Amino acid sequence: MSNNSSAISVKNLWQVFGPNPEKIVDSPDARLPRAELREKTGNTAAVQDVSFDVAPGEVFVVMGLSGSGKSTLVRCLTRLIEPTAGSVVLNGENIMEANAARLRELRRTKFSMVFQNFGLLPHRKVIDNIAFALEVNGVSKEKRHARANEVIELVGLQGFAYAYPEQLSGGMQQRVGLARALAVDPEVMFLDEPFSALDPLIRRDMQTEVIRLHEELGKTMVFITHDLSEALKLGDRIAIMRDGAVVQMGTAEELIANPADAYVEDFTRDVPKSHVLTVRTIARPLADSETATGRTIPADTIIRDATAAVLDANGPVGVVEGGNIIGYIKSRDILQVVGGGTHA
Amino acid sequence: MVRNKRVGAKASVLAAAAALLLTACGGAGVDAEASAAPSGDAALAECGSYAIAMHAWVGYTASAQVITEVAKANGCDISQVTLAEAGVTYDAMESGSVDLVVEDWGGGRWQEWADRGALVEVGDNGNVGIIGMYVPQWMADKYPDITDSANLNKYAELFVTDESKGKGAWYEGPPGYTTIGEKLVSANNLNFTVLPQGTEAALIDVFTKAAENETPAIGYWWTPQNFLAKVPMARVNFPTNDWTDAAEASGLTDYPELPLIKLATPKAMDANDAFTKIVKNFKWTNDDQNAVAADIESGTDPAVAAQKWIDANADTVAGWLK
Amino acid sequence: MSVRTEPAIKIAPKSIRRSWLLGGLLIIWVAVAQILQGKATLELAVPENSKFTAWAGEVADSIRDNRNDGLAFKYFFNPIREFVDGFVNIIREFIAIPNGSSSIPVLGWLGVISLIGFVVFAVSNVRMAFAAVALTFACGALGLWTDSMDTLAMTFAAVILSLAIGIPVGIWAGLSDRVLKVVTPILDLAQILPTLVYLAPLALFFLIGPASATIATMVYSIPIAVRLTAFGIRGVPTSPVEAGTSMGTTKRQLLRKVQLPMSSRTIIMGINQTVMAALSFVVIAALIGAPGLGKPVIDALIIRNVGDGFVAGIAVVLIAIMLDRSTSAAITKKDTFVPPSEADRKRRKLALITAGIAAIVGIVLSRQMAWAAFFPKQIDIGSQVANASDSAVTWVTENMELLTAGLSKAVTVGVLNPLESILANSPWYLTIAMITLISLILGGIRSAIVSATLLIAVVATGLWYDTMITFTQTIVATMLTMLVGVVLGVWIGRSVRAERALRPILDAGQTLPAFVYLIPMLGFFGPSRFTAIATGILYSIPIVVKIVGQGIREVPVNMVEAATSTGSTKWQLITKVQLPAAKKSLLLATNQGLIFVLAVVVIGGLVGGGGLGYLVLLGSSKPELQGKGLVAGFCILLLGVMIDRIAQYMVARNSAPKH
Repeated sequence: MSNNSSAISVKNLWQVFGPNPEKIVDSPDARLPRAELREKTGNTAAVQDVSFDVAPGEVFVVMGLSGSGKSTLVRCLTRLIEPTAGSVVLNGENIMEANAARLRELRRTKFSMVFQNFGLLPHRKVIDNIAFALEVNGVSKEKRHARANEVIELVGLQGFAYAYPEQLSGGMQQRVGLARALAVDPEVMFLDEPFSALDPLIRRDMQTEVIRLHEELGKTMVFITHDLSEALKLGDRIAIMRDGAVVQMGTAEELIANPADAYVEDFTRDVPKSHVLTVRTIARPLADSETATGRTIPADTIIRDATAAVLDANGPVGVVEGGNIIGYIKSRDILQVVGGGTHA
Repeated sequence: MVRNKRVGAKASVLAAAAALLLTACGGAGVDAEASAAPSGDAALAECGSYAIAMHAWVGYTASAQVITEVAKANGCDISQVTLAEAGVTYDAMESGSVDLVVEDWGGGRWQEWADRGALVEVGDNGNVGIIGMYVPQWMADKYPDITDSANLNKYAELFVTDESKGKGAWYEGPPGYTTIGEKLVSANNLNFTVLPQGTEAALIDVFTKAAENETPAIGYWWTPQNFLAKVPMARVNFPTNDWTDAAEASGLTDYPELPLIKLATPKAMDANDAFTKIVKNFKWTNDDQNAVAADIESGTDPAVAAQKWIDANADTVAGWLK
Repeated sequence: MSVRTEPAIKIAPKSIRRSWLLGGLLIIWVAVAQILQGKATLELAVPENSKFTAWAGEVADSIRDNRNDGLAFKYFFNPIREFVDGFVNIIREFIAIPNGSSSIPVLGWLGVISLIGFVVFAVSNVRMAFAAVALTFACGALGLWTDSMDTLAMTFAAVILSLAIGIPVGIWAGLSDRVLKVVTPILDLAQILPTLVYLAPLALFFLIGPASATIATMVYSIPIAVRLTAFGIRGVPTSPVEAGTSMGTTKRQLLRKVQLPMSSRTIIMGINQTVMAALSFVVIAALIGAPGLGKPVIDALIIRNVGDGFVAGIAVVLIAIMLDRSTSAAITKKDTFVPPSEADRKRRKLALITAGIAAIVGIVLSRQMAWAAFFPKQIDIGSQVANASDSAVTWVTENMELLTAGLSKAVTVGVLNPLESILANSPWYLTIAMITLISLILGGIRSAIVSATLLIAVVATGLWYDTMITFTQTIVATMLTMLVGVVLGVWIGRSVRAERALRPILDAGQTLPAFVYLIPMLGFFGPSRFTAIATGILYSIPIVVKIVGQGIREVPVNMVEAATSTGSTKWQLITKVQLPAAKKSLLLATNQGLIFVLAVVVIGGLVGGGGLGYLVLLGSSKPELQGKGLVAGFCILLLGVMIDRIAQYMVARNSAPKH
């Protein structure tokens, strides 16, 4: 994936807090454990040398535990926090070089953000919250309300336009947050743990909602979460952060199938692999004793979805990719994954 | 829609406020009534507005209230400003927030302000101030020689209290008054502790209790003050000497007899209106003051007490207005 | 985790050692003080000046000499004074003093009451509006209409000017860390500076009168407006601010559309506090010529009777309640951002219009009809109230002498005199050494250095003895305050019902100007050091009770439950769990108590308290002692800073090993 075709391209991004932050960038000190670094220099390297590209229309998830630097990272991308070093290129424009006015313009038109605690303005009605970015950009009231009403419809907030945030449930409030972020028709949306303050049931609804919106609108999204299942559900690609650095980046399948280190493996251990992995990962050559059944399934079928067909087949099923059979699986292979047997 | 309603509500509040202001700015009809009502006979002489300094003691209140009533009857607009004596009041005169001190006991401290042109001396008001140290009458009866300061140490033990650190308790005047107690004590080698009493009320309290319960007490008091008529006390005599400047008093002296003077701002004296005349000519005796003070102290409203005296002494008052 | 817990374990033996050390030190102090009693006390007779106070007097003299044509006066102080004077007069002429050539203010009494009713209704609710009208009317009924209006006018003038400066500065300090860093020490200092201290220096520059009084009031109330505004701006949750920024607001848009609306509740709370501070100061500012209710209060203190002062005090209380309740009602209104329903709004609009018309009628009447212009003299219960309170005080002093005189004597002989003999009547170097050592033990090396430095500065001024007299009274009053305050605080901390019962009393107590307390205390205890102390106690108890109560309530429930489950008695629970856990609150309460007590103890100079407060008052009326008065004010400041610093270091030290 080349820079030119990416929606966002992040290169060697650093965020160091404390005295003389520039000195820490690229220094061996940055690799010290957090407590030692603080002891030694008084600094905290919240984001360390992070680079990634996000393709247009992609949902890129940054996942990590609290303190891993993911929230700082997303704030650096919009310069809510000024990064210490590195570049962020948005559709060809390096936003690190934008002056204050240009930055404001970018924020008003090119990207938008959804916050963990919603960040709604309690003294404004839903419609005025949603139209806020348009308002600060000087859009006339008539126009901005018309646009706000469109997105209200889009996120299912009909009938609540004139309510105040505190009159809404948490889930509804975050719908306002989403609507507000969509109102400016941004090129990129940043979502900072948008659903972690919500109840599990509502969280699931909202995740579905995001998937639906993404399918309808095709927005590029950078989605921050600490919840792996959320990451797997939403992310085209996932970056796992730990202590400020990205430890692994890839599709859900890649992460589960090939954890880069013990940390990632530990993380992914409890994920039901059959829900994530495709049959490609377990396809194997036909053993001498076996005879192909002649049935085939596509290689990118999720194992769970392949279960019925394979069990039904009563023998090895061919895994097809690009018209060729790349291997075979049979019911025992599937049961091994579902049953949690170790996977090489 | 909803918004418009809110704007409407806001607008109505604004309109109401504007209307309030408008009516407020219209002419006041009360004045016609008010100015017609009082003092029909008073020559509606031009007279400005003035502020009279008020000091806490009743004698002062009596004098100030009489001047206030006479000036008001002659068309002046008078306000009263309560302040401590001397320095604070002189500063107030310099800033223009006070125009007249009816009786000044300051012992010449005002000179610095007079030099700067903040105030002028307008002469005696007829009262003579006598400050002194007093004991209750029963003590003077029981220990006849106590009224001589030379014998005070002999009795010092009688005066010891919880507050007086083993020596005799010497009840000093309030901070706003002219006091030299410490100098008297040290210059005369008295075995007494000076206890500053913050207020005149405190002294009255001390002397009243001393008379009632026949407890020993020695304290600061002065005339004109009609309290002496109610609670008899004897003055303790100190060696007398010349005493002209309070700040410089050596302490080997007793408090002097002090002709009390009037101080006024140049503004009041240059105006040449009724107030100027009253201030210039006001003069009465200690008995006059005590009569009014007695009424005030017995609960009569100062204005009423003053008016009573004015009505009874129309000639004197007429003399002030010449 | 494992590393951090070690000091916490060590703390127990350390604190035991510390209290042994303290006890030993105190015994040595008492013994040595006995031996050296009366030596090197540096006592300076009242009419004498020290070198330093004489110098200060000369400086003051030269400042006064410059009043007419000094450049600073011509181009700075005098224009400010004239501006403030003019501004105050406009407001006074509106409601209090005759307006121009007219014989009444712009608004007669009915007009003022109508306007107050309307305004209070507009900012809060109808119940409050009626209450405000009734309270204002009651001031008139006490025979103090004009004085009350003057106090109200002075308060408003000072509040408007204070907010005009305080809110912008507060916003700035709320937005910028650097500004906050600059203003914080000033705000802290202002908070510990007793009111009495401002008066003389300001009078030196702005002379005596309403202008000076207003400026002094502003100096007192601006820090409060700044502090709460900054606090409000900083208290806005981060996510809406971030959200605003992320949507590309300019700084101004962010302030106007996000930060200000969201902090409006705190800012209004700041306005409430500013109003109350201004009111309490305006009363005291009568000492430098503020018109209004302070006059009769001072009169009462200096001479006349408890009764008249009591009536004026009641009027102050009524105004305080009116201002406090109506501004707090405006705060409650801000509890939710959701406006009332459509129907409610319609009803309210109608009510507002009706009220507006009523107010206009009242105002017009008050300008046309004498009965509506001059408060009716027939309705004057002032003298009855004065007589009643006089006889009540007389009754108490006569029939409960055991309580009044006995209490006064017990404290004076039992606590005050012994402590005074240790602090003031022993050699100065002994006192300094001991205080330094004690603050070393309690607050550590830095607090010891601060104490020693400040105390030596006091010695240098020449007012050591008087400072120690004031210090003694402050300590005694604070000890007694803590005694009562902790008991009540534990009570309200443990019982919701007690909290509910005491809360209104505590709130009312906190809104009253310190001055008002002096009058009944003077009535009960006569002029003495104890009256100053008793007033200080009464004034500072509410804040102490509140802080202690909150501290007790904040002790984690599981801690209390654990103790209860191991079978602790109530007494054990309080002394072994709740009080130790609330230690930080206790220290904080002590600190606040000391500062409050100090502020009042110096005013006690008016009622026989002696010490620094007396010198301040003396200096303002005796020009030759002016320098001494100013320096006495400065010593009060040093004392306040020392007390505050020791307490702060103690708090810091006691909260450090927590995590």
